[in-house]
Amino acid sequence: MATREAGKKMIMLKSPDGMEFEVEEAVAMESQTIRKMIEDDCADTAILIPNINSKILSRVIEYCNKHVPTTGATGAAASDTVAPAALAEDLKIWDAEFIKVNRATRFDLIQAASYLNIKGLLDLTSQTTIDTISDNSLEEIRSFLSTKNDYLPEEEQTIRRENQWAFQ
Amino acid sequence: MTARLRRSPAASPLDDDDLLCEILLRLPPQPSSLPRASLVCKRWRRLVSDTGFSRRFRLRHRRNPPLLGFFDRDLSFSPTLEAPNRVPPGRFSLQRDDDDDDRFVPLGCRHGLVLIYIPARLQILVWDPVTADQHYIAIPPAVAACPGKARINGAVFRAAGDVQHFQVVSVMAYGDDHQHRRALACVYSSKTGLWGDPISTPLPYRAVQADAISVPTLVFADDAVLAGDSLHWLLAGNFNGILEFDLEKQRLAVIRLPEEVNCLKLVRAEGGGLGLLGRSVTNCMTQLWKRESNCDGVAPWVLGRTIDLDRILSVKPELKGTFAGATAILGLAEDNNLLLLWTITGLVVIHLESLKFKKLFRTNTFFQYHAFEGVYTAAETDIAGGHDGANLWHST
Repeated sequence: MATREAGKKMIMLKSPDGMEFEVEEAVAMESQTIRKMIEDDCADTAILIPNINSKILSRVIEYCNKHVPTTGATGAAASDTVAPAALAEDLKIWDAEFIKVNRATRFDLIQAASYLNIKGLLDLTSQTTIDTISDNSLEEIRSFLSTKNDYLPEEEQTIRRENQWAFQ
Repeated sequence: MTARLRRSPAASPLDDDDLLCEILLRLPPQPSSLPRASLVCKRWRRLVSDTGFSRRFRLRHRRNPPLLGFFDRDLSFSPTLEAPNRVPPGRFSLQRDDDDDDRFVPLGCRHGLVLIYIPARLQILVWDPVTADQHYIAIPPAVAACPGKARINGAVFRAAGDVQHFQVVSVMAYGDDHQHRRALACVYSSKTGLWGDPISTPLPYRAVQADAISVPTLVFADDAVLAGDSLHWLLAGNFNGILEFDLEKQRLAVIRLPEEVNCLKLVRAEGGGLGLLGRSVTNCMTQLWKRESNCDGVAPWVLGRTIDLDRILSVKPELKGTFAGATAILGLAEDNNLLLLWTITGLVVIHLESLKFKKLFRTNTFFQYHAFEGVYTAAETDIAGGHDGANLWHST
């Protein structure tokens, strides 16, 4: 089993389309799913991540690389000189740039974040989706999310009546 | 060896109920969020109406619940948000039996719950206006039996990370001998359905001249303020101070007020500790004081800011000191840091930090109002967390 003292212990992540990514163990362990596998000794050197293609997996790794805590063996340089507030601000700006992707990629990232259990990435991708639709009309939300309105007109009227104030 | 992760994700995150819930949980806590989401399609309605979802939604927005409005002393609701988040008064009206004409005294709101005292029945009612759940609790015998007591005050709250259960702290001052009054607190937990052991502390006595009328110290009839890990009530009568109940240590203590001001209202200070708004005894300016803990465990009062309410509210100089220029503090929304003020031109909510304000409506009455901050969810949930169900009468 890997230990933090090893510092730069590397781990191989494989995507189903045959790409291999060598990442620091600490970066891979930003994913709680992978962390658990490593801690349970289920992974030696390589982990196959099914259904997350290399394009998305590389973005996920990019995210984890940026968000891996900078204290300890993996990135001591940054934390000594930069104040935590400035670091958080820097991360926020970086996140905002990172999430400037098309809808399909964002949805893929949501799935990957959920599947690999990366809380920060799930927060970022889900929140961005909600922010995109929050100010839109119901019709726009349905069309943006490719969701079909399956209410009969009278059913829709009943639901509107229940909370009339919320549709004013 | 190559390890494999199990479980294949669905085609789109929106097809997976769990993932869609994750996304919908990020909807803003404004009241219209979930009713509007319900109308997208049947599946969305099913998901956001689920009890588990409601619970997670409330938990997620626990720290930033919007101020939905205020309840007055008759428990009528006045919304403060604009459409489409303006929940109409009728939506938050307490259902009572037709023949029930007992007086219901609101003691304050917190974490989406309203605490009501019913003196004639020696009962407390915890009401969730969103779900309409009502939870009646008999006043603990230790409190009911106290001699020389004034009215009962109290506070309702939910512990951190718990949106299922609630707790009630009832407090009062008692004792026939004015020089040896005590404060008493009792904590009820909806998880156990029981009151804990009574906790008491002596109240200080300020010597008065022999011919002066002696007024017993009592817990002032104003809403409690939750700041840090403690609930705070103003004490009035012989001793003007603050009664503190530490929720962590389950301990009662008395805090002295700064001598430089007359306390108008307890508030939550910047940083989350206890603060107070007071009127300076020297220049009548409104000041914000903050209680700071130092390493000795003693917490002296520190003057924060001076707030020129007259200037902010544009009171004309010629009206100063007259009824038309008067303001009164009627309520506090502690999570939103908003004060409710009465002025001759109407009620005003003012943000304590930014001092931005908004006019609400005109009224000639200036009774106390109870700020209702909470997250509007669609599902019917049991406020007591399924322990007893709603509308059960307790005989503890």
